[in-house]
Amino acid sequence: MLEIKNLKASIENKEILKGLNLNIKAGEVHAIMGPNASGKSTLSNILSGKKGYEISGEVRFENNNLLKLGIEERAHKGIFLAFQYPLEIPGVNTNNFLKTSLNAIKKARGEKELDAIEFLKLVKKKSSDLKIEEKILNRHLNVGFSGGEKKKNEILQMSILNPKLSILDETDSGLDIDALRIVSEGVNTLRDSKNSFLIITHYQRLLNYIKPDYVHVLKNGKIIKTGNFELALELENKGYENFL
Amino acid sequence: MTLELKNNIEKMFKEKKLPSENIEFRKKQIDIFLNKGFPNKKIEEWKYSDLDHIIKQNISNLNFELKLTGDFNYNNSEILNDFEHNKIIYVNGKIKNFDFPFEERENIEINYNQDFKTSKNSINSLINLNNALTFNYSKIRILKNYNFKKPLVIYHFGTKDINSSVINFRSDFVLEENSSLCVINIFKNHSENNFININQQYKIGKNANLKNYRIDSELNSGINYFFTNIDLENNSNSETFIYSAGSKFFRNEINCNLNDKYSSAFISGIINLNESQHHEIKTNINHLSENTKSYQLIKSVLNDSSKGVFQGKIFVDHKAQKTDGYQLSKSLLLDKDAEFDAKPELEIYADDVKCSHGSTSGNLDENSIFYLMSRGLSYKQSKKLLVDGFLNDAIEKITNQDVKKYIKKLMKI
Repeated sequence: MLEIKNLKASIENKEILKGLNLNIKAGEVHAIMGPNASGKSTLSNILSGKKGYEISGEVRFENNNLLKLGIEERAHKGIFLAFQYPLEIPGVNTNNFLKTSLNAIKKARGEKELDAIEFLKLVKKKSSDLKIEEKILNRHLNVGFSGGEKKKNEILQMSILNPKLSILDETDSGLDIDALRIVSEGVNTLRDSKNSFLIITHYQRLLNYIKPDYVHVLKNGKIIKTGNFELALELENKGYENFL
Repeated sequence: MTLELKNNIEKMFKEKKLPSENIEFRKKQIDIFLNKGFPNKKIEEWKYSDLDHIIKQNISNLNFELKLTGDFNYNNSEILNDFEHNKIIYVNGKIKNFDFPFEERENIEINYNQDFKTSKNSINSLINLNNALTFNYSKIRILKNYNFKKPLVIYHFGTKDINSSVINFRSDFVLEENSSLCVINIFKNHSENNFININQQYKIGKNANLKNYRIDSELNSGINYFFTNIDLENNSNSETFIYSAGSKFFRNEINCNLNDKYSSAFISGIINLNESQHHEIKTNINHLSENTKSYQLIKSVLNDSSKGVFQGKIFVDHKAQKTDGYQLSKSLLLDKDAEFDAKPELEIYADDVKCSHGSTSGNLDENSIFYLMSRGLSYKQSKKLLVDGFLNDAIEKITNQDVKKYIKKLMKI
């Protein structure tokens, strides 16, 4: 599904990714772990199309040259980024935004757009699955949401948009145990033989709830080790410094 | 401006068979205007909007003597069908129709007598001009305890039959004790290059309530000055909303005098411009008694080389203890040639008051655009969502739900 070959990226002449290789097949869950400033967020930014990086190498997503696609085209093709710091958008009603977003994606895929009633039905179901109070969906997007509410809102968007590849950028940071469980359940219900996940995290904690198929260690802009869940436990015990 | 013009105007006064005292008053007023000319940037309050220059640039051979004959008609499809309302219709500066089908007429007095001899609020030469040349005057009095059942829409139609002319309007409203009125001024100007000079005066009695909305939404070449004075008595309230987007130039100037205790004035507005449009909102809120309250929120979105101006003044008299005054202006500049000028002023002579003001201008937040686009929205959709969201704050201040809905429809929100 996703093939990254020798990806290098720099910003303001500072090289952050220094030749990263990664293959994610349909249905797989990959975790990327690494210390601060190893390039984790840069990787998620580049995959979702954020501007401002100088990039070389190759990234293919289902036979598309991903690096040539615009931000919204990547979303249309099925890439979703759950933001580490979801933005607050004043004046924009969360429900309206979700509907605009879902219908933009459906339209691009040539699918039938949902009318207001069909959409509300879908949102009702998904938000009750994720134990999100419906009233926050009538508030402005992320404005005044707690940290946990913002992250849950990201997972709600993910489950409504039903992407093929979901990238979770430190979604676990700042979550209490209950929120962590809800977020993980959201991911696990989406998990099937077609959908893939790339989970970026500092801590092994989240991986107790979402068991990854592969764990990669990112350091200094490169993947230096790949293994299974055991690797995450080993990292947690030894710490990054001793391990690397 | 020549002697010939002056003589022609005086001839016109005689032809109209006005009472001699009124002619004397009008002559004095035109003298003052001719002496001062149109306001220009040398006057501090007009430094961001040099009207003299704007008129010279846009209108050649400005015609002061509006000698239009004939019966001009408006397009009936331009009458709103969004909500039931009473109507006053002006076409090319002439009163066409007064229609109050929803009201108890015994509770409303309408007076067309233009025989005024004095002028209040002669704050600039445009008021003098209006005093001198207004022939379409009406005074509406709403009697004690009467609440208008439906809004009153004042339509300002301009047709293609008229160009390069000065058009003056004046209307006065008196809201007696415990009465209420919702007025909506709507501009539908299809004429070319006219200077429209409006003066509206409101007297709001004890416990009375005014909602005052004005909507300039359709692109047109009009140059407009709209002066409004609102006098508020004990425990009365005025709410003003301005949608300023259609005309080439528009200056809305609003004076609110909080004359007695517990009176309050709220002003919110949107300036939304493209190309070389230039709009200004100028407010003077005068807290003249204790325990009075004012609130102002202006949101501006400026595209291309358009220019927006907000000059907001809060004056607090030494008697006006416990004043609560607030003012905020925010603008989005979406092109490098767009300009926004803000001049907040606080003049406070009392010591126990709560007054604050703020002003910001900036561009759209790139990270917010990225966030929305990563959810599948195009750049255009993301921008519209952010801009609409930005303006929505001000729209939410409108308390008449029909008007709020209508404005959202106009803005395609």
